[in-house]
Amino acid sequence: MSDDPDKVWPTGLTLREAEEVHSYLIDGTRVFGAIALLAHILVAVSTPWLG
Amino acid sequence: MAFDYKAFVLRKLASVGPKYLPFADVATEDVPLSRLLRLSLFQVTVGAALVLLVGTLNRVMIVELSVPATLVAVMLALPLLFAPFRTWIGHRSDQHRSALGWRRVPYIWKGTMYQFGGFAVMPFALLVLSGYGEAVDAPRWIGLSSAAIAFLLVGAGVHIVQTVGLALATDLVKEDDQPKVVGLMYVMLLVGMVASALIYGALLENYTPGRLIQVIQGTAVLTIALNLIALWKQEPRDRARAQAMQTQVNVPFKEAWDSLVARPGMMRLMVMIGFGTFGFGMADVLLEPYGGQALGFSVAETTRLTAILAAGTLLGFGVASRVLSGPMPALTLGRIGAAIGIPGFLAIILASQGGGAAMFLAGTLATGVGAGLFGHATLTQTIRSAPRNRIGLALGTWGAVQATCAGIGVALAGIIRDIVVQIPSLGGLSAHAPYNYVFGIEVAFLVLAVLVATKAIRAPADIDREPAEAS
Repeated sequence: MSDDPDKVWPTGLTLREAEEVHSYLIDGTRVFGAIALLAHILVAVSTPWLG
Repeated sequence: MAFDYKAFVLRKLASVGPKYLPFADVATEDVPLSRLLRLSLFQVTVGAALVLLVGTLNRVMIVELSVPATLVAVMLALPLLFAPFRTWIGHRSDQHRSALGWRRVPYIWKGTMYQFGGFAVMPFALLVLSGYGEAVDAPRWIGLSSAAIAFLLVGAGVHIVQTVGLALATDLVKEDDQPKVVGLMYVMLLVGMVASALIYGALLENYTPGRLIQVIQGTAVLTIALNLIALWKQEPRDRARAQAMQTQVNVPFKEAWDSLVARPGMMRLMVMIGFGTFGFGMADVLLEPYGGQALGFSVAETTRLTAILAAGTLLGFGVASRVLSGPMPALTLGRIGAAIGIPGFLAIILASQGGGAAMFLAGTLATGVGAGLFGHATLTQTIRSAPRNRIGLALGTWGAVQATCAGIGVALAGIIRDIVVQIPSLGGLSAHAPYNYVFGIEVAFLVLAVLVATKAIRAPADIDREPAEAS
């Protein structure tokens, strides 16, 4: 099981599978990050803080 | 004795792991009802989003935020622009390449993210748009563009989630069970719409900007939570399919589209869906004001109208699920559904010509039943007439036609009524005349739908038969 060179320890996913799972994480971070940024800008426009 | 930690950990992980992973281990032959119910939760979020956009925000933006009505209409129409892209999204998901063997999950997840993102930004965008707080001094384009982005994101998310979600549901079940799944999906959409309409109404009774933010962002969180629950362990992780995906030859969209449209009866079916959805859809926004203005119903009574319509639709779904599991062709049932709508709308028209409230209620119930039967039967027919590897594309086409026609129907219903009110020579002086024009148009479109259905049924190439790949 752990000897398969194509599999990533410890999940048992293959390299491609692991990379795909990771790509969802990256995508999600980007999208949620962009949304959070936009939301903060809009809140700052209507009710500015720190100033 | 040396303890092999690695082997121990691996064994533990292997036994615990699958329980906490978001995919089903094997594609079981029989998908239990509980799992389908869970999957259908995505329709609840779609229903909630639709109600929030078309019903709640429509009112809040005009009444509480005093945004010009035209601007509100334009903003709310933005998501419609995405409807035709449903075909493309469905096609993409049919041919998606994934190392995990997934076709639908990545799209549903992305759609959920967009839907969430749109709702997360929307309240602030609306507050800026309406010039709340310091935003009075902000340049106009900030509010306009951010509100547009928010509505577009929600619209795109809803279209993606519904199209690909329906495709996943179709993937999961055997052919015989498809009518039941279609019924379940429709019922959950209706449940989501009715429940969220009641909840939004109660929550926004006493409007404050803070409450608006809570309600919309609460919807965002609910969307992502319900969709995650719905998706969990639904689509099997499949290494064999993943292998096949690496080598599959992608068919260009145009080619896939051409071969789908070339299938016997497909065009007719889509035209029939367009006419019928348009006909039934126009009534949605007019029944309540018609009851109020033409028949003098109170607010509570007009709300009960919507309940009667929903009950009729539910009845239609139930009957359709049962009947379509039997030998009756879906097209025949679709024709019956459209045909029931015709006397329904005639009764609604006659109600203001001396027919009275009882006639109106009966007509409303009949149109509800008709709409339920029609919607269910045509969606079932779409699924049945599509080849298994083009389910996404076929459902995308269904969604594009259905969403576009329903949207245009709702918009046109309001516009036509307003035009007739402006022109007294058309009889705009009486309260019921403008509505009756719209209801008359609906009858005409339902007649068209029945005619197209009749033609499709009579066509020599019966699309119920499993045909060989077209062309």
